[in-house]
Amino acid sequence: MSRPFPYTYISCPCADTPVLDPARKRRSRESPQKPPPERDTEANEGQDDAKQPANKDDEEDEEDEEQTFDPRSPRSNFSLYPPEQLLYCEDCHQIKCPRCITEEIVSWYCPNCLFETPSSMVRSDGGRCGRNCFNCPVCTAPLAVSTIENVTGNGNGQGPWVLSCGYCLWTTLDIGIKFDKPTNIRSQLQKMTDSTTGPAFDARSRQGSRAFGDLKSPLSNFASVDEQANPSERDAEQSTSKEDQTPTPHLGAEARFAALKNFYRTQISETSNSPSDSLGSEFGFSSPGALNRLMSLYASSSRLSGLYGGTKKPKSKPPVMREALTATEGLRIASGDADSALVERIASPDCGWDGVASLIQRTEQSPDVRFVDELLPLPVLLRTKRAKRCKSCKHILVKPETKPQSTRFRIRLIALSYIPLPTLRPLAQPSATSVSGLAPTPDLNALTPLRPYHVLLTLKNHMFDPVRITLATPSVTPGIVATKVTVLCPQFEIGANSDVWDEALQNATAPLSDRITGMRGGEKVPEAGKVWEKGRNWTTVVLEVVPGTLPGSQAEDGQEGDSDIAATFQKDEDVLEIPVFVHMEWDAEAQLEQQNVGKASKPDDLVARELAYWMVLGVGRIQASL
Amino acid sequence: MPPKAAKGEYIETVHPTPAKQFQAPAPSPEGPNDTGNKISRRSQIHGTQHIILGGKTVIQAEAVIRGDLYRLPSTAASTDPSNPPPQSNAPSVAITVGRYSYISKSAILRPPSRLHRGVHSFYPLKIGDHVFVGESAVIEAASLGNHVHVGAGATVGSMAIIKDFAVVLDGAVVPPGMVVPSWCVVGGRPARIVGEVGEGYGVEGAEGGMARERYRVVGRP
Repeated sequence: MSRPFPYTYISCPCADTPVLDPARKRRSRESPQKPPPERDTEANEGQDDAKQPANKDDEEDEEDEEQTFDPRSPRSNFSLYPPEQLLYCEDCHQIKCPRCITEEIVSWYCPNCLFETPSSMVRSDGGRCGRNCFNCPVCTAPLAVSTIENVTGNGNGQGPWVLSCGYCLWTTLDIGIKFDKPTNIRSQLQKMTDSTTGPAFDARSRQGSRAFGDLKSPLSNFASVDEQANPSERDAEQSTSKEDQTPTPHLGAEARFAALKNFYRTQISETSNSPSDSLGSEFGFSSPGALNRLMSLYASSSRLSGLYGGTKKPKSKPPVMREALTATEGLRIASGDADSALVERIASPDCGWDGVASLIQRTEQSPDVRFVDELLPLPVLLRTKRAKRCKSCKHILVKPETKPQSTRFRIRLIALSYIPLPTLRPLAQPSATSVSGLAPTPDLNALTPLRPYHVLLTLKNHMFDPVRITLATPSVTPGIVATKVTVLCPQFEIGANSDVWDEALQNATAPLSDRITGMRGGEKVPEAGKVWEKGRNWTTVVLEVVPGTLPGSQAEDGQEGDSDIAATFQKDEDVLEIPVFVHMEWDAEAQLEQQNVGKASKPDDLVARELAYWMVLGVGRIQASL
Repeated sequence: MPPKAAKGEYIETVHPTPAKQFQAPAPSPEGPNDTGNKISRRSQIHGTQHIILGGKTVIQAEAVIRGDLYRLPSTAASTDPSNPPPQSNAPSVAITVGRYSYISKSAILRPPSRLHRGVHSFYPLKIGDHVFVGESAVIEAASLGNHVHVGAGATVGSMAIIKDFAVVLDGAVVPPGMVVPSWCVVGGRPARIVGEVGEGYGVEGAEGGMARERYRVVGRP
């Protein structure tokens, strides 16, 4: 996994409530998933009479059903998140992962100059910074505006100016561009590249202006709500780039693009035969009418007619659009020897490998760009600040301040304020020979098989109510390597996160004692049924872990190792990950709406709440041999 | 005196006596130097009078901190009168490090420099609070914000600005002059924005909020 050991991931329950498909059902034996939410209601019912047995039953049920979470299941990848990435919806009372939220854009800003771009400007700027921020077309590093005048004296801001890359030392001089002023570079560049008559950069500028058209359209697709002509722009644009690969001297890209757009618009309105056919309307290509039209085009062919509305007889053939025919309509005709000229240039010694633009460089540029000296500086792509909403109840979970520089949030419901923060720490090896109280902590990247390790799991409560926690884990971890896991104290309480001042004081004192006891592990022995350590709002319990043997290792003596298992041994199978089911209960103050809440509402306005989820503890990597 | 007197690996600065070598001789702009810094005796720190540590800063062995590369006030004054010099007061500060920041083994902190109108001059390097600088990373940034994480082996180029809560992945090379916005993760050579950290990043005890814990364990047996 990506993080260093030890790590903890929390599984978002949203992965367990998808539509069941039969294929998954079949597979569920081998890769069991978390039970669907009915188990929560089960627990709720049990709450009335006695909590402890109910929980016990729960766990047992689970084991009977073999529905423990498997961190190795392919689906788990999509539900496991580091705790700090998770949000919490106070209405659904559920953890929310990036998959169960929707995002909406609060503001656009340039990541380089950190200026906000008003959303009305985003589209016209092509989703890119309109100021002086450019990325190097060769290596993507930001470009700096610098003067090439070699003045050492007091020359006050004399040009000419260039953009230069501090990483690969590319400058706009390499493509023969200089700027007169150090400000408003983008419009200067645009002017330069748009002027097709300019004798100096003839070939270049033409492509340059094309490049800007290209830059613009795929991005403005993401721009904002008010897109109307945009998809059509894109389609038209694509067809242009396919149609004609070689430059014509007549129209600049912008102009040609506009001409083509115009042409297709008129074509659409001319060929739409029925009033219901909304192709000609302003909705353009993306409208359902367009789809209809396309489908009816295809449905008239024999094979698809059975699929789509086969009962209906195909109507009269819709009139066919023609393509652009003249240069004024945006047509550009490929000259026959363009390709051979290209090849010649590539083969010539003064171009060589270094002179040819790489594929990655070309993806950001106009499709005509083939050579490094045709690459144009790229205005920096804007980034967004986004608010996040719960997908199911639409309540807002995160709302950052609009200012790009601000790191504060107006609303921030992160899971860490609700669920206990798990941290994992290996305990100094109990069996280690005591070198003056300096017990070595085990090397987590090489755990010895069949040797008991003690791992400290600390859960820190950020809520203002004390929480009762029940931990459950399969006694043997899923996967090929069977590691035995025992939670020495599966049920415990965590105190409330009562006061900020307390915390400040606690921070100074508690972890110190924690450390002392932790380090003098020889004195303190993990005991079953007892918490290891307890602080104001945190509790530490011990997990005993006996790593299993890897198949194919020396220790393989019949108990685990089948030869065919060794064959199926996959990468990272030796990573010891423990699924732990966390069930937390607490009494919250009753709010107005409590329909989702547990049925056992208590007197004096306290409501029993509970939350259950799986987490995965990444303990370490098991050594191959003993 | 520090509790582990002579032989401890770390020099711990204690209140209120000025720590041995890491005290600006004149009172630093931020008032009395804060204390509790843990500085490895095997670190190499030059120009200590130009370095301000915010307190509870950890500097590990073999880290190199170039406080000697401070901006010469005379040159600054003479060569660019138009630009206001950043420090007109006191001895010029080359490096400022905030509270609970952690400079790992073999990391190099070097003030950024720039050739401006033919004059090569250094600019102060500001490091915020709760910053982690990974092993053998090279920092030449103009500023690292609070809660910034710089991975092992990363390089932050001259005059780069890393805003709060940003993460520089291991081995990344942040090109000179780059600005990394808050909450962004950059990686690669040259570094690009490859993602964002979660909203909970920097919460005490979680990812990005481990600075206190990191500080605490340093120098304990």
